[in-house]
Amino acid sequence: MFRVCEQTLSRELGEALVQAQVNVNPFTRAVLERSTCAFSGVLLENVCVARETGLPLCQDTGMVVFFVERGNQLQLDFSLRDVLQRVVENVFASNPFRFSTVTDPLFDRKNPGNNLPAVIHERVVAGTDLSIHFLVKGGGSENLSKLWMMRPGDGEKGLVDAVKQHLAKVGAAGCPPLHVGIGVGGTADEAMEMSKRALLLDPGQRNPDPRYAALEKRLEGEIEQLHLGVQGLGHGPSCLGVHVLQAPTHIATLPVGLSADCFLMRKGNVCFRGQRT
Amino acid sequence: MKGRKVWLEQLGELSSSLQLGELLLLHGRLFLMRDAAHKRLFPGDTKPDVTLDWNGKTIFYAGPAKPLPGWASGSIGPTTSLRMDPFLPALLQAGACATMGKGPRGEQARQACQRWNAVYLVAPSGCAAVLAQRIRKMQVVAFEELGPEAIFQAEVEDFPALVAIDSQGHSLFNGIAAPQCGS
Repeated sequence: MFRVCEQTLSRELGEALVQAQVNVNPFTRAVLERSTCAFSGVLLENVCVARETGLPLCQDTGMVVFFVERGNQLQLDFSLRDVLQRVVENVFASNPFRFSTVTDPLFDRKNPGNNLPAVIHERVVAGTDLSIHFLVKGGGSENLSKLWMMRPGDGEKGLVDAVKQHLAKVGAAGCPPLHVGIGVGGTADEAMEMSKRALLLDPGQRNPDPRYAALEKRLEGEIEQLHLGVQGLGHGPSCLGVHVLQAPTHIATLPVGLSADCFLMRKGNVCFRGQRT
Repeated sequence: MKGRKVWLEQLGELSSSLQLGELLLLHGRLFLMRDAAHKRLFPGDTKPDVTLDWNGKTIFYAGPAKPLPGWASGSIGPTTSLRMDPFLPALLQAGACATMGKGPRGEQARQACQRWNAVYLVAPSGCAAVLAQRIRKMQVVAFEELGPEAIFQAEVEDFPALVAIDSQGHSLFNGIAAPQCGS
């Protein structure tokens, strides 16, 4: 069997979470450097100030969403879920981040002051490794999320029209240029999860099926045509990229999930090779 | 950074002279509040447990992150204003002269600005470390138990904001584009 050291995992994951909050990714930086809006100067300055001070790039330091792939030959002598929650708790306690969760969503909405819980999607895959990807998901972009239970006959045009109309209505509020994930097929829950998982990809990465890759490019063009602009102010790019993930579905259904990320696209990953014991 | 220097204490008197799309650099006192505090202040069918004087005040839809030692504020920036639209008429009726947040607002909010001669400003989002540096002082005014959703009072300096709805009810988000201005 193979093992992973809990201390190493906690340390490296904690560092990756901090980096995602204070260091801008190269795609966002490139966009900020070449686009002009009324706020271009301060947005670029923010990249430097955050890196130098350790203050987060955005005050909404989000809910952390983990996507775990766990090798079936790994044997962990700790609860991975508990460790992930503890890492989030420690990172948010020891950095100038914001506690942005409430425990009861409908009635009390009381802030527990630890940014818990993190959301964890976990699946077992063949192998000996442990791969942990995460999104730092702010509330503004999360509120753009959408699920359509389309008719199978609606097809590609139906999907494109739905996405376009939806983002024309709400996209400006999600801090564009937007990074958009689309999940097609599966069941309703699976479509939403795929749309979130799609946000882990980097701009320019393409679906291996050329038909879906073409759909990604078409959606990018359509979203660009909405002219949301940097900060939703109508100038500059509107879309950082679109990724589509697909899965088999029922004969009667065509679920389409949409998730969006703001221009900061805060995410990261750590991967551990299992050590033979 | 270029922009018209505006003292927040005078914003109410100036509001009709502010141009749509104009970049402002705010100085003076802002009041921070967001979803939870609005719900408590303007509960609709029951009497609020706290009443505050909103006359001539500018409300910033924001909840700050934790400050570093020695800093007045942690990272700070606007939240989506649209969520506060249902509360805007009551806030403006109570005397507030301006609100600031991010993103477009609904027709109800545009009409409320026009009716009460108020402006809506947009502050940069994803710019929160720089905006923290523009805050000189900050203190909790009410609802401390709400943590980042408490009502805060902040003294700001050179705080950038764009006029997104003017006091005549014209909106940047109704197809009237903001002027290009790189700085």
